[in-house]
Amino acid sequence: MASSLKIKVNGLVHSVSASLDTPLLYVLHNELHLHGPRFGCGLAQCGACSVLLDGKEIRSCVTPVAAVSGKQVTTLEGLPALWAQQRGTTGSVPALHPLQQAWIDQQVPQCGYCQNGMIIQAADLLGTTKNPTMLQIKQAMNGHLCRCGTYTAVIEAIQQAARSMTKGA
Amino acid sequence: MSAIEKRTDVETIDVFGATLTRRRFVQGAGGMVVGLSVVAAGVGAKKAAAAGSGNSLDATQLGSWLTINPDNTITMRTGKVEMGQGSVTAAYAQILAEELNVPFSQITQIVYGDTDRTPDGGIAAGFLGAGANNLRLVGAYTYQALLSLASQQLGVPVGSLSAQGGVISGGGKNVTYGQLVSGSQLNLTIPVTGNLLVGGLTVTGSPPTKPPSQYTVVGTSQPMGSIPGIVTGTATWVGNIRLPGMLHARMVKPPTFGSTLVSVGQLDKKEFPNTQIVVKGNLVAVLDPEEYTAVTAAAELAGKTKWTDWSDLPGSGNLVNFLRSADYNAAAMTVNTNLGQPSAAFASAAKVVSATYVRPYFKHAPIGPSVAVADVRSDGTAIVWAHTQAPQPLRKMLSYVLQTDPSNIVVRILDGSGHYGRSNPGPDGAEADAAILSQIVGRPVRVQWMRQEDMAWAVSSFPQLADMKVALDANNNMTGFQADYHQTGRYDGRGLGALLAGLPPGALEDGSPAVPQVNGHYSWVATASTVWPYDKVTNAVEYQHNAAPPGQVSSPYKAGLRIHSSRTPVQRQANWALESIINEAAATAGVDAIDFRARHTTDQRLLNVMNTLKTAHGWQTRPSPNPAAKATGSTPMTGRGMGVMLRSGGHWAAAADITVVPSTGKVTVNKYTVVLDPGIVINPMQMKRITEGGSVMGISEALYEELAFNKRTVTSTDWVSYPIMRIMDLPEINVVLVNNPSVGTYNGAGEGSNGLPQLAITAAFFDATGKQARSLPLRPRNVKAILAA
Repeated sequence: MASSLKIKVNGLVHSVSASLDTPLLYVLHNELHLHGPRFGCGLAQCGACSVLLDGKEIRSCVTPVAAVSGKQVTTLEGLPALWAQQRGTTGSVPALHPLQQAWIDQQVPQCGYCQNGMIIQAADLLGTTKNPTMLQIKQAMNGHLCRCGTYTAVIEAIQQAARSMTKGA
Repeated sequence: MSAIEKRTDVETIDVFGATLTRRRFVQGAGGMVVGLSVVAAGVGAKKAAAAGSGNSLDATQLGSWLTINPDNTITMRTGKVEMGQGSVTAAYAQILAEELNVPFSQITQIVYGDTDRTPDGGIAAGFLGAGANNLRLVGAYTYQALLSLASQQLGVPVGSLSAQGGVISGGGKNVTYGQLVSGSQLNLTIPVTGNLLVGGLTVTGSPPTKPPSQYTVVGTSQPMGSIPGIVTGTATWVGNIRLPGMLHARMVKPPTFGSTLVSVGQLDKKEFPNTQIVVKGNLVAVLDPEEYTAVTAAAELAGKTKWTDWSDLPGSGNLVNFLRSADYNAAAMTVNTNLGQPSAAFASAAKVVSATYVRPYFKHAPIGPSVAVADVRSDGTAIVWAHTQAPQPLRKMLSYVLQTDPSNIVVRILDGSGHYGRSNPGPDGAEADAAILSQIVGRPVRVQWMRQEDMAWAVSSFPQLADMKVALDANNNMTGFQADYHQTGRYDGRGLGALLAGLPPGALEDGSPAVPQVNGHYSWVATASTVWPYDKVTNAVEYQHNAAPPGQVSSPYKAGLRIHSSRTPVQRQANWALESIINEAAATAGVDAIDFRARHTTDQRLLNVMNTLKTAHGWQTRPSPNPAAKATGSTPMTGRGMGVMLRSGGHWAAAADITVVPSTGKVTVNKYTVVLDPGIVINPMQMKRITEGGSVMGISEALYEELAFNKRTVTSTDWVSYPIMRIMDLPEINVVLVNNPSVGTYNGAGEGSNGLPQLAITAAFFDATGKQARSLPLRPRNVKAILAA
């Protein structure tokens, strides 16, 4: 049965109505209309549905909504504000997180269906590792599948974003 | 048009076979000119009409294709769909901008795919071949019409006018396109031919087009318009659609491809108070206002629903036997290559090199399973939101399913997961389900297939068993070639939901209703195959043998293991066998693989891409195998191999360096180089990215992918049981584009790029180990079997 609960997503507290075991992904789509995370497998195998939970990448397709209460969820839509917060410039939120800018510059997406998860995972990585090596990038991204085969572009975009974020751009 | 307007000054001008009619509108009372864009009369009227009254644009009207706005920006419309390769939102806009002599940035709006908002239909194959020519010609006709108008307005002969940036200048005067069309209704009638609902419409005639040597927009790296929305979360995906009163549906599929319903289960009313169960024939679904409730209800109902058993698939473990012994009653077809007297060449050969190559079924395996939303209304009209490569054929398919006229149906295209050819005849998967359910419940319905369902029930890419042979003369020159490709049918464009529900499932590619073709099965036989690259060999033939998809004849609803084309269809299969036997012949001849090919062709573009490959890859010229090759032990063995492909006017060559560890069977691709001469390169950055991606897909197919199935159903149902390549296994990929404007035609890279890695990798495997890899994929188990043979 549906319960009322509060979850914090992209800096705002939302009251939602869902059974406690409803995966977060369905709540994000149907209650909060956040469509950055995508339904891919429902099995935590592909990574299309990824979001950040207190800065760490999780699979929203298998995470019960009840498990995120009291924590901060950040979706693709919330990355620019997260970047502003990380830089301490919350007064002016940029239009794009450096990763999003790099994804545009490097023309990473093809169909784009998996790219939410790629960007979220990269945000997790660059949150802890400022200048990742090629191996570190590959290890971090290995749980995300892309059928269009954008892996080369993903790596180049992460490298660009890492340079840009180190400079504080 | 208001009643006070009157028409004057009707002019008709012939523009290279198109007819330009211009009416100036003069207001009766105040004398003010009524501003109309080129398109206003044509499209505005159609858009305002209710779904059901025609619902397609008149492709003979320029205004259906593009709008020149008063501010000089341009709206472009095409029936082709952006599938993630930038073909529509970058390449097409570049081609149109080029012919119109405007910058890329001036094309500010692109409408694609929607069946009621675009003119020409068509499918997303041959995107940058014949497909691109429509907008090229529309642009050329329009440009000529604008020059004619400018000549009249400025009083300057056409020959003294020039255009840049959407401004026509001459005789010291200038006028923008927007000014030229403002205050006029331009009716530019352009010639088209074809069938909107089946193959699409083609613009005909030969207006003067810009010589490729003068291109300034084509050949530059423009961004694909969809990227910012994708990376910020603002893209509108099909799965995002939420309509008032909409129900979420999940399907309860039969446990096999031939089971029929015995009894449907019940749901606990307390637990599922709002859930509806819909049954029609063997189509079973649950619908609920809450999406996750529908998910759990479907799982619950599946466990309580009883079906008959059915077990008429061969099982993937018996694939070779199946393909060897299948009923190929349909006569063998000769396909593209049918030259000279091959049997005589084999009779007089000094040596015959022969081998059999086997490829399994593959999945298109989109990351997002199929999803569709349908709103079938009580007045019989319907709107379906989908992501398909073929919106008009989907509309036609749905008209069969809903048993109504296509004019009652609108298909709207939104972003979706790439699916690499499987929607080429119209449906991607969930569309018929959504339409049938919406018609039954009288509300909008969103159907999301689940991962396991998509893997099991969506169409697959067909397998192939290829018997290949090459005749060599005493000088080790190739004198004869024969191929016998055995495969199961392809091009199943029927709506799956309709098959299960017992409704008319759709149309064949020629537009006729789907009826059994050969021996009671729906084997849309393959007709395209390889292009023979070795023109010095004048005795060469390819035969194709088509069998029914397994289980289709005996399945009560004619399902079975359904097939559809997949990126680089047919040639991806056949060209692997073709190039592999050429590599084996080169090895038998003791000649380097590139040199051996060069001996047998006069095709300068092919010779050029192979030479470019030598340099770009750092190719070691020598015969295979590597003198150090070994098939045993734990020492990593290295090898290099190559292959070529001619496709759709594009010339490809690729090489791979790989490592094989014989004791573990592990194959690693270390470096991969691919050279493409597509003719005119439209968008270098995009083409590089698409080629990289296709290369990953091809490597994945060579090393990992194989659809497993038992006698009842598919057992590769997720990413563990159907592994695809992960980023850890990404090799260094080098893409070399050879821009060749003198060819005069465009070509894409989505098709072709995924067909090269298999050739190069299996050749490199032989180079490394001295053992021929004649079956895919090169997973450890298969590798160990090959090395032990």
